[in-house]
Amino acid sequence: MGSMIAILRRQPILGAVLIAVLLYFFGLASIDGFGSTFTLRSMLILAALLGIASVGQTLVIILGGIDLSIPFIVGFANVVAAQLYGNGMNFALVCLIVAVLALAIGAFNGALSARLGLHPLIVTLGVGTFVQGAVLLWTAGFPSGSAPQYISNFVSIGGSIGPLPFPGVVPAFLVMTLAVAFFLARTPFGRRLYALGSNPPAARYALIDPVWMWAATFALSALFAAIAGVLLLGFTGSAYADVGKPYLFQTIAAVVVGGTALVGGRGSYLGTFVGAIVLTEINTLLIGLGFQPSAVQAALGAVIILLVSLYGREAHLREQI
Amino acid sequence: MTATAAKMKGQAERFRLPGIAGIGFAGLLFVVLLLVNVYLNPERFLPHSWGTLIGLAAPLISAALASTPAILSGRGGLDVSIGPLMGFVNAIVVTIIIAKWGLAGPVAVWVAAIVIGAAFGAFNGFLAAIVRIQPIVATLGTYLVLAGLTTTIVPSPTGTIPSWFSGLSGAWSFIPLLVIGLLWFALTRTPYYTALMATGSEDRAAFTSGLNVTLIRFLAYLVGGVFAGIAGLSLTALIGSADPNIGETYTLLAISSVALGGVSLAGGRGGFIGATIGALDIFLLQSALIYFNVSTFILQTAYGAILVLAVASTAMQKSSGGRDL
Repeated sequence: MGSMIAILRRQPILGAVLIAVLLYFFGLASIDGFGSTFTLRSMLILAALLGIASVGQTLVIILGGIDLSIPFIVGFANVVAAQLYGNGMNFALVCLIVAVLALAIGAFNGALSARLGLHPLIVTLGVGTFVQGAVLLWTAGFPSGSAPQYISNFVSIGGSIGPLPFPGVVPAFLVMTLAVAFFLARTPFGRRLYALGSNPPAARYALIDPVWMWAATFALSALFAAIAGVLLLGFTGSAYADVGKPYLFQTIAAVVVGGTALVGGRGSYLGTFVGAIVLTEINTLLIGLGFQPSAVQAALGAVIILLVSLYGREAHLREQI
Repeated sequence: MTATAAKMKGQAERFRLPGIAGIGFAGLLFVVLLLVNVYLNPERFLPHSWGTLIGLAAPLISAALASTPAILSGRGGLDVSIGPLMGFVNAIVVTIIIAKWGLAGPVAVWVAAIVIGAAFGAFNGFLAAIVRIQPIVATLGTYLVLAGLTTTIVPSPTGTIPSWFSGLSGAWSFIPLLVIGLLWFALTRTPYYTALMATGSEDRAAFTSGLNVTLIRFLAYLVGGVFAGIAGLSLTALIGSADPNIGETYTLLAISSVALGGVSLAGGRGGFIGATIGALDIFLLQSALIYFNVSTFILQTAYGAILVLAVASTAMQKSSGGRDL
């Protein structure tokens, strides 16, 4: 047992995978229909949505920051896309506008934090609050409109793609996971991200511009949050400014359960991918076992603490001197 | 002995200075907002309504103060469970201590609130300092547990409180704040305070000079939990019932107040005066905008903008006075 925990601590993704598998078998054993295509499909869709929203959180945490604006950007994209499309605008143009705005908001978050040395937690919280307030003002609190049919089909629980029994978002999520993993491991941007996250002063000598890197990374984070917001519009069918609320802490939880430490310079998106699946499994399991939503929330909190204390512990201070 | 004490005091004052120097913008904002509020609504600021006024501001101020020790302790120290803990204290005190057990006296209620606060503070401290889970994740777990428990115990607003308790949002509303203030003041007179600030500024140096960093951090969460328990009493007095939805909203407001008041989220810098002024800024902003009867959306927009503006201008003020980055 002791040596197993030691291995898990060195290879946290293995720990997360192990837990995902154990949870799956536990679900099969304890809940009727847990292995059905329907349950599997809905879990995969929910995990994909959480995973997409968590891409940015992963990148930002590797950089040594944190992004609390994700839920607000999700809501922003959700409402703005619905509103503009409802007004009769071409949906491609709608997506372009939402993407450009999200990139600008994210870049502002990153640049301001890096340039003035502010804690990104406060900057992203303030900017996010502002953005959501502005969106609510614009729509007077009653957003209207919806997503085009093909977006709904792309994320619908009943959807399928070709011979596969899944809607398009599931294979797209897998492809995106590989692309992000490749981006982090094999591109100059990805390597700079790790370099700047693990040792900011040293990264300067490697001619890495911190302000630019922070602006670009937070911009990417906002972009992925916006994508999640538009997909959620297709998933739920109507716009809702608070739709991203659960993602405030769930994106952080997915990253951490996936074995990425919040200290910067370490971690991977593959971990977050597994983390998103584990969180979705736990949620589905608890609901399947008949817990009330409030009890599900409490149990989820306890499980997060338990998982992270198994393999996400920080080193003692004496080992960091 | 006296030499050591004087040296300790000198150190404490040196550490405390940035806390007051760092609140320039927040202090200015406070004065402006106070003048605007007094101009708009002088009636509300007359001495006879001070009790009610303090009662309205007390939950936010005490939530901000409860968040401060963990943040001061450094290395990502943060307690996001403060809000739900206040809500949990509110639910337990109203539905169990008062309604079920019939213990409606001040002693039972105060003891219950402080014990619950201390217990969850200690739990957070155990997770963050001893198990060494990153504080935001550890206290997020506690957040979810507490919020879930609160909604299970009190699915919808319910219950009443005795009249002495309602008094804590009226004429006696300063009592909970005074208790928190005195406890903290007493702490700043002990070596613990210096040790906490040293740990927060540079924990490795603190560790190598022999401080028990783990214990210091653990105590910071414990103290914050006790303050959150007392904050839960202010909240209960204000709303007069048990409500499962209000507590959670205080977490982000409290963290914003603390940052606005110049307490560094990196730890080791800032203090209670800053956190209080930050909380007062947010309270006065809310009350001025509510006076205009504007929608909560404008309030939210203004509040986000001011938060960013405040932390940015504080940082610029510092960097223009110091070295060029």
